Amino acid sequence: MGCIYPIGGGKGGSGKSFITANLGVLFASLGNRVVLLDLDLGGSNLHTLLGLTNPRSGLHDFLNKTVSDLDDTVVETLIPNLFIISSVRCSMEIANLFYVQKMKIIKAIQGLPYDCILLDLGAGTNYNTLDFFLASNEGLFVVTPEPTSIENTFRFIRAVYLRKLKQILREKDFSDVLRELASHSKNGVMGSPSSVIEAVSQRDRAKGELLLDRLGEFELKFVLNQFRKHTDVKLGDKIERVCNKHFYSRFKFLDNISYDERVHDSIFSKEVYIVKYPYTPTAAALQNIVNKIVSNGSQPELKRSVVL
Amino acid sequence: MKRLEELTYFEILEIPVHASSFEIREAYREALSIYSEDSLSTYAFFDEDERKRVLDKIEEAYATLVDEKRRAEYERRLVLQGRIDSSLLKEKEPKKPIPIFQVGQSKSREAFVNRIRQKVKASSQDEGRKTILDKDQLAGEDLKRFREAIGLSLEEVFELTRINVSILKAIEGDLYEALPAMIYLKSFIKSYAQVLALDPESTLQAYLKGFPSGSTAF
Repeated sequence: MGCIYPIGGGKGGSGKSFITANLGVLFASLGNRVVLLDLDLGGSNLHTLLGLTNPRSGLHDFLNKTVSDLDDTVVETLIPNLFIISSVRCSMEIANLFYVQKMKIIKAIQGLPYDCILLDLGAGTNYNTLDFFLASNEGLFVVTPEPTSIENTFRFIRAVYLRKLKQILREKDFSDVLRELASHSKNGVMGSPSSVIEAVSQRDRAKGELLLDRLGEFELKFVLNQFRKHTDVKLGDKIERVCNKHFYSRFKFLDNISYDERVHDSIFSKEVYIVKYPYTPTAAALQNIVNKIVSNGSQPELKRSVVL
Repeated sequence: MKRLEELTYFEILEIPVHASSFEIREAYREALSIYSEDSLSTYAFFDEDERKRVLDKIEEAYATLVDEKRRAEYERRLVLQGRIDSSLLKEKEPKKPIPIFQVGQSKSREAFVNRIRQKVKASSQDEGRKTILDKDQLAGEDLKRFREAIGLSLEEVFELTRINVSILKAIEGDLYEALPAMIYLKSFIKSYAQVLALDPESTLQAYLKGFPSGSTAF
């Protein structure tokens, strides 16, 4: 299994699909076999960013059982080594995925034979998005340096935590704890992740530590997209410090991606930005992000240089 | 979220336990810029009460650490509780510049010079001294061998005589082209002989006899 990178971030319009497409091209240019999955169900347009108007097959074939292997729904792009599974032809009601279908997709993703699998997630914190994000122990947040985006990102991280905690509680048969928590909460709605951890730790220290260990397995990276002049250049570092201090996982800030009008042009011309404008500051930042991910060491299977 | 109460003041301000007061002030300023109400980096991260609690804690950490007495008291408490290792606190003394060739422990130059003199005296090389003085001619090589027998390094000779190490090397290696003018060389040889507790005058005479007459130094 290759490395799986869910790309999320809570807020719409922050550039998740843009980053997915461009990082995909860069990973592929290093000689990795890369597949991009459009999991912004009901709002998919990753294929458009890659210059494909109507991919012939996609996730719908897998869901309506035309094919049994998710790998058979993969479509080639114009870039060598880069493939896409689009969800553009899925039904109009695809945004409300059934639990069983969702689990089937996640299991299939984890079995895809590629070096690198990038998941382009939708905005918001619905269960589908959270569960797709939890398909891997790593993830990338795309944040823009604006209060709205930062607010949604923090909310997204908390929602991911709470979802993960619930998964572990269920998995590890902590049902007694779960029942007790539910009985104390308002209308059966659980509070913040920290209150859950605290409640579990108070009842059983070992179980509380297990929860913390599992949250500690996460390694979350983030980028500041659409970075404009006059924004505090240390903003990313500050957010990294705050997250590392107050959350239970490891957070890593990768780079500021400066705002560029030409992104708009590249979308209009249906060409991937990094292919059309490879020598801009924005492109350099994207390249730097890929370099940081491959030299991280946690991804030994990713190739680091061009293979001819 | 992690519990703030479990963090030490050093962890709250994100500084090492031996941080200077300058570092503490800087860290405090930085913390305020991160946690203040209008900061973008923690926008909507805390509710009002939580933010107030964090800011109070930062204030408390700063007020304690910046006051030397209270800081010492606080550090003692942390050591007693086993939350920090007492050895970490030792680095608080600011480092002073040290001379590049001073290798020993003593801090004053006088003590250092005395230590080298002692070393020369204690080396009991009377036999070697006699052989050297009996020699009619002396080469740099002989001086080198004798110095090494005593156990002196070139850097130590430099510390006593202030003769540049490269010149000392030229003398010992008989590299006549690299030697200074004769007037300086004579005084260098005498000072060097003195360090080795040889008679300066007779050493110089013997050295000059071994000196090639065509050398540029003349």
